[in-house]
Amino acid sequence: MMPTPTVAMTDFTYRYPGGLIDGLDIPEFGAGAGLTLVTGASGSGKSTLLRVFNGLIPHFHGGTIGGSAVVCGHDVITTTTRVLATEVGFVFQDPELQSVYPTVERDVAFGLENIAMPAASMPGRVAEALELTGIAPLRGRAVATLSGGERQRLALAGVLAMRPRVLVLDEPLSQLDEEGARSVVMILAALAGAGTTVIVAEHRLEHLGLLVARTVAMESGRLIGGSSRRASRLAAMPISPPGRNPVGEVAWQMAGVATGPGRTPILEDVSLEGRTGEVIVLVGPNGSGKTTLLRTIAGLLTPMSGRIHREPGRVAFLPQNPMALLHRATVAAEVAWTTRGDSPSDDAATLLAELGLAHLAARDPRDLSTGERQRAAIAAVLAGHPRIALLDEPTRGMDDAARDALSSAIQRLRSAGTSVVIATHDKNLTAALADRTIAVGAGAARELAPAAVA
Amino acid sequence: MNPRALAAWSVSAITIALASGNPVYRVLVLLCAINVLVALRRPDVSLRGLTIALVVAGLIATTVTTLASHTGHHAFLVLPAGIPVLGGPLTIEAAFFGVSTGLGIAAAVLAAAPLSLVLMPNSLVDALPSALARTGAAIGTALNLIPGIARSAGEIRDAQRMRGWRPRRIREWPDLAVPVVLTALEGSITLAEAMEARGYGSGTRTHYSDMVWRRADVAVCVVAPAAALAFVLLRVTGAIVDWYPFPDVSVPPISALGATCCLALAIPALVWRR
Repeated sequence: MMPTPTVAMTDFTYRYPGGLIDGLDIPEFGAGAGLTLVTGASGSGKSTLLRVFNGLIPHFHGGTIGGSAVVCGHDVITTTTRVLATEVGFVFQDPELQSVYPTVERDVAFGLENIAMPAASMPGRVAEALELTGIAPLRGRAVATLSGGERQRLALAGVLAMRPRVLVLDEPLSQLDEEGARSVVMILAALAGAGTTVIVAEHRLEHLGLLVARTVAMESGRLIGGSSRRASRLAAMPISPPGRNPVGEVAWQMAGVATGPGRTPILEDVSLEGRTGEVIVLVGPNGSGKTTLLRTIAGLLTPMSGRIHREPGRVAFLPQNPMALLHRATVAAEVAWTTRGDSPSDDAATLLAELGLAHLAARDPRDLSTGERQRAAIAAVLAGHPRIALLDEPTRGMDDAARDALSSAIQRLRSAGTSVVIATHDKNLTAALADRTIAVGAGAARELAPAAVA
Repeated sequence: MNPRALAAWSVSAITIALASGNPVYRVLVLLCAINVLVALRRPDVSLRGLTIALVVAGLIATTVTTLASHTGHHAFLVLPAGIPVLGGPLTIEAAFFGVSTGLGIAAAVLAAAPLSLVLMPNSLVDALPSALARTGAAIGTALNLIPGIARSAGEIRDAQRMRGWRPRRIREWPDLAVPVVLTALEGSITLAEAMEARGYGSGTRTHYSDMVWRRADVAVCVVAPAAALAFVLLRVTGAIVDWYPFPDVSVPPISALGATCCLALAIPALVWRR
């Protein structure tokens, strides 16, 4: 006899406030002990589905609901989020936007306060959650000093302190480096193995692998079956052999540079150069100095010693959150704003078409889906003929379509003679595009031989 | 150290600093506050910015008072009377009064500074009474957002500069302001969602208190307010005579009792350890 699922949905429909079509249409869904993976492109409804399980839909987001959704015996439509919070823990994508208090211990206790747990019981729960997530040594630390992986584990500790029966995670690995992602996955594995219902929506499937008991794919708010298509896409992405692209003259050059965001350099004696028509990938853990190196090449940081030279021409800089730059009324206006003063717009139209945005050129970029906004931001920053293009973790939170569009845009830049430098954890992007790979860490930046990258 | 005890100390020190214009008592309060800051500040905190700000504030207070007062019998410079506000005699009495004013400002600021430079950012909010706990949580959350917004603004500014943004007119500043505000709003909504997901909302709320009252905390909470109360009573009864440099500057009178009240404010540095 099949065990009763912890989460059960029947003929469930949901429409956002003011929406013209249903955002979710789920005839049947169930999840029990173990790890259930929810996959799908940006805008497919994964995040909407996950928010039903803890009552954020409908209680926080509003909207119109049909059918039923029962979680741990509670009807989510009639049960408050406060009650559901004792059964369902929810971890969001951005580690920096989940901490309420500035210290670790205090932040873990936040949920316990909300459910009116007696003060005498809280220290034990806090200690238990810190141990479960491996961050007990960080107990007295300021949250601002934690790495991305540590902050995501703090978010986990904050929900695990409430001993939920269901744990829901919305792309928890998207902004973490390899080590951070591994640490979070280990915790999920332990919880799933102990019988917790774990439901994860994620694009980065390489870490989850054998942990997944069941996979659910979504498209346009509907379930479309249980296979993962990503594995086949991983195999299909072409890997460029090293040194296949002819490169041109030097576009930028550093000699003996020491640099850092504060008064103390975090990178010293860096001597590198980038050439036109070349893609350099910077690899290294979070905090190693990749962003600092990019900002130094861009001219946003002045070297503390040594010298840097850039050939004349525009430098394009794609920050870690490029969507934050969008402020014009339309996608086309965003691109035009970047290329104002440049020669016109044929390249802009080409770029928009290449990124699948030609039909969205007249739309407000902030009205687009997440994946479309990411591509709009790429178009806005990389438009025109930049001499140098610097990209900081460009594939964070990207679905396959956006990743493919980015790869095409980078290849076009390379063909046009741009010197491209990318800081990334994405091994597939590195394998597909890198002409040279630079390892950044321990205060240095050194070039890796091709065999070391493979 | 207990945040409520430190808050009681701050209020007491500010009271003494402002209860008398006598620069000697203000210097004593200032020295005790500096002692507390140096002994107990958080390791990540630098006092350089605060020091510079206070020196500048003191110079401004002294200069403005000297230039605008024109009262006193000992002029060291006379500006033409036709100059608005500044015209007239600049006196030694006014200069000393300005110095005393600057010392009062510095002492009051240094008395309040430990609340942000010694305590962790949310400790004071946590110290609010239970009835204000929910308000405190909201305030604490808002405070926690500020560093992220500031960092985001810097990143957006740099990225827009790389897109060619060079603000020469006011109408070009929305190219920075709009994305910063929108990003801050989106971040706030995400944080609100995260808070609700952890049960924040209406209903009874308890309080995680890692605050305990140790003997040192009780000592600070008793001695500092007692010293402030005693100082005020001495002022009111005339046992401490205030100092007023006009029309002729004089040496400030010092009362042993008044000085003792001021020196009692050194107690946090004596009983607390970081």
